[in-house]
Amino acid sequence: MTVSKGWLDIPDEQVDTEKIMQRVRARLASRDIAPLDEEDKTPEAIASALWRAMIGSSIDNQDVPIQGRDCDVVPRNYVIDWRVPILGPIHAAIRRVINAEIRRYVLPSLRKQSYLNRQVLRVLNDLFEENERLHQEIRKLREDQGEES
Amino acid sequence: MAYGDAASNQVLSLQRLLRDMGYGSEVFCEEQPFLFEGNTRSITQHARHASPENVLLLHFTMEYSNEVMSWLRRVPERKVLIYHNITPHTYFAGINGPLAEAAKRGRRQLSQLRDLTAAGWGVSAFNCQELEEHGWTNLDVLPIIFDPKRYAVRPDRTILSRYEADGPNILFVGRVAPNKCFEDLVLTFFYLKRWIRPDARLLLVGAHGGMEPYVAFLERLVDKLHVPDVTFTGHVSNAELMAYYRCSHVYLSMSEHEGFGVPLLESMHFELPIVAYAAAAIPETLGECGALINEKDYPAIAELIGLLIEDEGLRDTMLAGQRRRLESFLPKSVEGRLEELLNALPP
Repeated sequence: MTVSKGWLDIPDEQVDTEKIMQRVRARLASRDIAPLDEEDKTPEAIASALWRAMIGSSIDNQDVPIQGRDCDVVPRNYVIDWRVPILGPIHAAIRRVINAEIRRYVLPSLRKQSYLNRQVLRVLNDLFEENERLHQEIRKLREDQGEES
Repeated sequence: MAYGDAASNQVLSLQRLLRDMGYGSEVFCEEQPFLFEGNTRSITQHARHASPENVLLLHFTMEYSNEVMSWLRRVPERKVLIYHNITPHTYFAGINGPLAEAAKRGRRQLSQLRDLTAAGWGVSAFNCQELEEHGWTNLDVLPIIFDPKRYAVRPDRTILSRYEADGPNILFVGRVAPNKCFEDLVLTFFYLKRWIRPDARLLLVGAHGGMEPYVAFLERLVDKLHVPDVTFTGHVSNAELMAYYRCSHVYLSMSEHEGFGVPLLESMHFELPIVAYAAAAIPETLGECGALINEKDYPAIAELIGLLIEDEGLRDTMLAGQRRRLESFLPKSVEGRLEELLNALPP
């Protein structure tokens, strides 16, 4: 079982996120991952099959394979960080300068990109709904024509 | 306005703060809420308070009725929209059609309200961003006010005696709605219970009116996964809410859409380490505290919760960060910002 690199972010400077992730990985490696049932379905697969059966429509339009949460590409809590016990104050000063520069140059353009992403998603969703509505109208018109003839 | 609702509580906290700052403040609403702790007046009584000298703060969480919209066009006050955010309608597809439509209409009203107001204040920068996308320009952030006095309520004894012993208890507080992703809470709890803490409980505290198909799905999921000790409490009183916070060990949020996240502040107040999916305004609310999840890797999240339960040192460090963060939302911290924003309003 692999855990991706950016899976966790603990913004508190007093906590070493990398160390926590290593501990999580080590604990996961020790687990016995037996299948849940004879059909070898994962809990996630069971949940998703149930959702389809009971709710029907997907949370986001399935024809628009982007979700709202994917639009925001700004790494708000990302900071350049390294932990070497010696030369602490010098490292801290360098880190502060690099982080401030990243915020000044990179974040505004990523904010613009996130804004554009959200606009595109909104337009796609509107178009999807409009398309669905038009399809229904066409179906209804065809049914009415069929009845008349 | 409704009993126990986060936005309604914010209306009261803001009123209290304004009065403490020496301003007169009245709350007007379309429907008189049942069991509501504050004094509210009907908008039909507003006429005798109307004056162009006043500022009308419009709290916006869902669409305004046509009556309210036309009333807003008539009243002479300078108006400011306080945007708490509206859940995107797509989340309610297949679950609550009328609510999906109301959410859609509410979001469309943002453009009309822009032309009626002097400014827009989001309770988070995330909310301001959305207003900006609807063409708003005069925008600022007025954070949620966290008034600890509101939480000085004796916790419900029955709940405490039921859940205080044993555990650990994993808590989530919020209306049962698809944007809060309760299914992800259940999936994470499944791994926690199976691998790490067979004695754990999942306490899901929140009303679920209007969400019946979603609740049925969640109950079926719990049943199908054979995962015991999952409690859906439904709507709770303040005393019961206090008790759930008091007897819990970790706060877990998998929500994908929050305009702010008041239960995160409540968890900071009640000293629960927070594990939350990093979406919408959640990273901003947590600032430099809590554990943010970027990917919904349920087994890994369960292991992280296990670590937080077992490692006292880690928990204490995280709680210290959370205590520092909570200070930014105390009335005395927000007061200066509010004064500044009121003074900056055009005459």
